[in-house]
Amino acid sequence: MGYKASEQDLMAYLYGELEGKEKEMVEQYLLENAEARLELEKLKQLRHALGHVKDKEVIAPPIFVGDSRPPFIWNAPYLKTIVSIAASLLVVMLVGKFSGMQIGYTDSELRISFGKPSSPIENVAVTPVESLSSDEVQQMINASLQQNNVAMQETWADTQRKLDASIVNNLASNSAKIDNLVKESSAASQQQIREFVASMQAENVQVVKSYFQLSSSEQKQYIESLLVDFAKYLQQQRNDDLQVVQTQLSSLQKNTDTFKQETEQILTSIITTVGSKNSLGTKY
Amino acid sequence: MTETLLDIAMMHSDNLIARAKEGDQGAQGKVVQLWYKRIYNFSYKFFLDHDLAMEVSQKTFISMCKNLPALQDNARFKSWLYKIAVNYCREEARKKKGNRSLPFDLVWNRDAEDSPQWESSGNRTDNPERQLQQRELADVLQEALLEINEEQREVVIMKEYEGLKFREIAEVLNISENTVKSRMYYGLDGLKKILERKNINKETIGYGI
Repeated sequence: MGYKASEQDLMAYLYGELEGKEKEMVEQYLLENAEARLELEKLKQLRHALGHVKDKEVIAPPIFVGDSRPPFIWNAPYLKTIVSIAASLLVVMLVGKFSGMQIGYTDSELRISFGKPSSPIENVAVTPVESLSSDEVQQMINASLQQNNVAMQETWADTQRKLDASIVNNLASNSAKIDNLVKESSAASQQQIREFVASMQAENVQVVKSYFQLSSSEQKQYIESLLVDFAKYLQQQRNDDLQVVQTQLSSLQKNTDTFKQETEQILTSIITTVGSKNSLGTKY
Repeated sequence: MTETLLDIAMMHSDNLIARAKEGDQGAQGKVVQLWYKRIYNFSYKFFLDHDLAMEVSQKTFISMCKNLPALQDNARFKSWLYKIAVNYCREEARKKKGNRSLPFDLVWNRDAEDSPQWESSGNRTDNPERQLQQRELADVLQEALLEINEEQREVVIMKEYEGLKFREIAEVLNISENTVKSRMYYGLDGLKKILERKNINKETIGYGI
């Protein structure tokens, strides 16, 4: 028996996908080959074990397909970038349009301007200059420079002269004024001081005199009144003292009078008591 | 694989596909409903990641709706759809390789957080310990699937879990049927070795009974 079942045949046999002659050949092979039988047995056991893994239950989520196309186009690479660049270019163009921006390139001159271009007078003025040669231009420049220099020098000299004259004038007038002022001030001050001192002296004398006069008369008056007051006071005092003495004396007199009366009364009482006793004594 | 109503509906959906091809949005929606679970589970097993699986599934169906009119043979719809899904899986896998950051699910094990998940699944009358073991086995198997290389993984998932024929897988991947079979063989062989390395055998978890 030269037949040996290949791995493929064994697999097909294991899963029951062999039919007819092939199946018989494998079965025959297995009958004769114990090793292969054992291997197949093990594989069957393995299959049985694998059967323990059960399916997991799952609920199918809704699948949306219809609306997937438009975003796909939008998400195409670079499309967003290109659209955004186009949009920004459009914005720039619109702004340029509304602000009247103009960009021109003529004779190696790049010109970016806003609003309407300026009047063409400039161009007209420029053209004849170009017809002049450089020497002529140089001459013209030199001539104008010379003229300018001469005029400048004249004006400089004129102003110099004016300045000098005015400075001299100013100096002279100023010094004269200052001299006068100084003289006037010195003369005036001597006289004034003298007058002032004299008037001061006179005033002082008067003030002192009047003060002394005033003070002496006032003092006299004051002393007189003081003396009068003092005399009045002395008189008053004397009167008071006299009154006091008089009252004292009168009170003394009263006292003595009462004392006299009391003694007289006592004496009379004594006398009467003694007299009555005598008379009674005699009767007995 | 036991056939559910959904599977039967998928098998007899030629008319629906024809209408979807003509741009009937209702028909397209129904096709999505029919196939979403399959494509999601295919990509989930490919990545073991819910978010990536959702992303691949959604992309696949968006692409499907767009390109359905270009499908020439309605009978080849299934392999055509898996072809789209495989391409998106490969694209995501490339992105994932470029992205060095750690997937969040590795840091926070979501399955561990939802530990009472087994309660709601399957027969409650079963022994809970056995259910837990089976769940753990399923986790180990899925991790093992992630360890084999991408080409073999695609074939193993499509064959073992999606039930495609070797001919259909060859169509999806645009390779020969024999290549598909050898990828399948080496994929299973790899899985076997990984499980042996992890000491998963008959005795430890009771598989093969």
